[in-house]
Amino acid sequence: MKRRVSWFLPLLLILVLGGTAFAQEFKYFTVFTGEPLPDYPGSTIVGDIIERETGVKLIREALVGDLETKVGLMIASGDYPDLVVAAHFTSLLKDAGALIPLNDLIEEHAPNIKRLYANHWEMLKQEDGNVYWLPIQAIPYGPDTSRYPSLGFFINKRVLKENGWPLPRTLDEYFQLIEDYMKKHPTIDGEPTIGYVTLFDGWRSFATTNVPQHLMGYPNEGEFVPVMQQGRYVVTEYHTSPTAKRYYQKLNEMYNKGVVDPETFILNYDQYIEKLSSGRVLGTFNQFWQMQDAQNYLLYNKPESIFVPLPIVIDPLVEERQRDIPYVQPTQGMGITINCKDPVGAIKFLDYLIREDTQRLLQWGIEGVHYEVDENGLYYRTPEQLELFRNPDWVQNVFGRQYFFNAFPSLRGVDENGNMFFPDTQPHLIYADSTDSEKEVMDAYGVKSFSDLFNEPIPKKYFPLWTITMPAGSPAHIEETRMKDVLNRYVPELVMSPPEQFENIWQNFVKDIKPLMVEQMKVYQEGIDWRMENW
Amino acid sequence: MTTSVSAVRHGKTFWSRVKEQKVLILMTLPFLVHVIIFRYVPIWGWLMAFQNYRPGRGILEQTWVGLQNFKVLFDDPVFYQVLRNTLAMSIIKLAMGTVSSIALALMLNEVRRLWFKKTVQTVSYLPHFISWVVAANLVRDALSTDGGIVNEVLMKLGIIKEPIMFLGIPGLFWWIIGVTHVWKEVGWGAIIYLAAIAAIDPTLYESAMIDGAGRLKQMWYITLPSIRPTISVLLIMNLGWVLSSGFEQQYLLQNGRVIDYARVFTIYELDYGIKMMRYSFATAVGIFRSVVSLILVFSANQLAKRWGQERLV
Repeated sequence: MKRRVSWFLPLLLILVLGGTAFAQEFKYFTVFTGEPLPDYPGSTIVGDIIERETGVKLIREALVGDLETKVGLMIASGDYPDLVVAAHFTSLLKDAGALIPLNDLIEEHAPNIKRLYANHWEMLKQEDGNVYWLPIQAIPYGPDTSRYPSLGFFINKRVLKENGWPLPRTLDEYFQLIEDYMKKHPTIDGEPTIGYVTLFDGWRSFATTNVPQHLMGYPNEGEFVPVMQQGRYVVTEYHTSPTAKRYYQKLNEMYNKGVVDPETFILNYDQYIEKLSSGRVLGTFNQFWQMQDAQNYLLYNKPESIFVPLPIVIDPLVEERQRDIPYVQPTQGMGITINCKDPVGAIKFLDYLIREDTQRLLQWGIEGVHYEVDENGLYYRTPEQLELFRNPDWVQNVFGRQYFFNAFPSLRGVDENGNMFFPDTQPHLIYADSTDSEKEVMDAYGVKSFSDLFNEPIPKKYFPLWTITMPAGSPAHIEETRMKDVLNRYVPELVMSPPEQFENIWQNFVKDIKPLMVEQMKVYQEGIDWRMENW
Repeated sequence: MTTSVSAVRHGKTFWSRVKEQKVLILMTLPFLVHVIIFRYVPIWGWLMAFQNYRPGRGILEQTWVGLQNFKVLFDDPVFYQVLRNTLAMSIIKLAMGTVSSIALALMLNEVRRLWFKKTVQTVSYLPHFISWVVAANLVRDALSTDGGIVNEVLMKLGIIKEPIMFLGIPGLFWWIIGVTHVWKEVGWGAIIYLAAIAAIDPTLYESAMIDGAGRLKQMWYITLPSIRPTISVLLIMNLGWVLSSGFEQQYLLQNGRVIDYARVFTIYELDYGIKMMRYSFATAVGIFRSVVSLILVFSANQLAKRWGQERLV
């Protein structure tokens, strides 16, 4: 025993002395992020700089499992971290009294937050006039445009190339191209060609059921669309519209011809991505982020089979406005909880994170190392730097962006000197940094980005409708779940039945779904009226 | 036997008996504490079912709503669909699972080559250790119409011409649940029966053999009756789970096409309860399930008693 102490004490002394000699006094904040993320590697390029400059270390808890359950547990136990971001359940935390108002804190201690969120300030105020959370994206100087539109009817590049780069406009023309190509090429790389796949897995099934609104020319508004009538937006349903009927009837026709993948309605998300990545799927509709993994795989492994988004509408007379302008999601964000011992320190940390220099560091990196500046003051990356940032492992674990982005307040769009905060949307680089396969398509259509295949979006003050949330457990909320049940049940039937039964099923569908939209439309209408008046 | 034990007991006081059995009592204590903490204390939460529970407030500071949540539950047409699905799938799983496990145990018992017996046993109980998240994807791939092994084999054998979309046929869903349950659990379920079989007195078989009973007759007249108590106790215990019927399996194998046949209580509680923060409603559903399970277990126990079978309580 004695012997052990004799070497243990000096060792302890050395450790303590050594520790204090080099250690900076760190402040610690606990933070919960409502998305899965591996543990922080301990040291990353951007993380080390942020720690050094702020003296703040974060003790992180990322989401494991189901966010709703986690938030529910947090509220039930009252065991909150200092900082919390809980996606679309943020308002529940506020309702439970877990978040502190930020107005005064920001006024006194956070000049950057005040300045950069000024555009959105009114939207963030809750009924009591206080602000409780900061949306994870602010757009202080103006929006940007991406290489890909946020949604579209995607078509395999082979189909376009073989037909001399046509630009189909309607659903009929789109499916005609696919059907013809399928007849000519029953197999691709030795495997059967798949004409059209639609994603219908659980909550992701909106990739199938949201389509009618887009065929009517709208961007993604959610389950309902606001139609301008006599100077006022009137919330209108589209699930039983003539467009929806024609859409499902077209899918039915194509299903019975064998163009739509027979098992499309029973695929789960993994199987869907796997199919798209095989390069033998000719068409699918989706929001880009839901199929981006497949596209990224195709770009570098099967460049001849990449997907090209097309602005498809139901009828040539419909005005296409499917693209959206990047928007701020005022209903969710990061808040400071009542358990936080040092709210001033926390808001100062967030203020540091949001300022332009930090955002530039997170997105572009260090000048001369991760990006260069040309003679016009525009940022760009050399091929070697680009290669580095194309490796998601490196970006996450060595560079460390994910650990301070996504869940944390950040900036997007144009910055104060005309560059973009996101390197991916830097205008002169969208084309320049595209792969050869993408460039071939863009050249053929004479555009510099795939978004240019679509019309310019129209700015709308309330946009989008779907960020209006149903009060938890309210009749409208229950109605919404029931409505989705009806969609889940009928849509596969509508598509997979023999054509002569379609009319009958459609009648039943309309009869069952109509009564399940009343309460929801009321909530949306109130929400949109409020937004038009107050934003 | 019974009389002699009670006679011994009779003479002693309660405390002297406690002293005598103190080692046994100490051994059971941790389990008793565990059961109280994790099984009885949470029942306090049942109060929620009679409230309009909002998180963030104490359980006694909520608004009381009486039986409203139960009324909502029994008025919901989905509830009856869910009840039907849960009962159907549970009974299918229970019947198929029990019969297949017993059959496997009986057959394994007859195998004389030890290496073969052990191999079969290991292979058959391995799937038990795979999580349903993985297993569901295996099942989905195997049943796929796009190169799934089941369709390929059936087509090569000429049994079917076109691939069948097994997971897309509503009427088949219950049976797919049953069959995949058997695949996953048959080996695991057989272990307990094998143990029961191992405990049978070998002299019974010897005398049966002398009486001229063949393998099949021995199975029928010796093995099966000897493991009957095990079977009936397990059945009674499993009846308590009839209204649970699993969650992951149905949740991961379901799709929009078969939702009317796939939704069970656990999924219903999740979709219509927890996900909407209707904790009170979810609790009411839970209470309903517990009460029905309790009734089922006790009536099965009574039946077993009447038929002179081994029983649980």
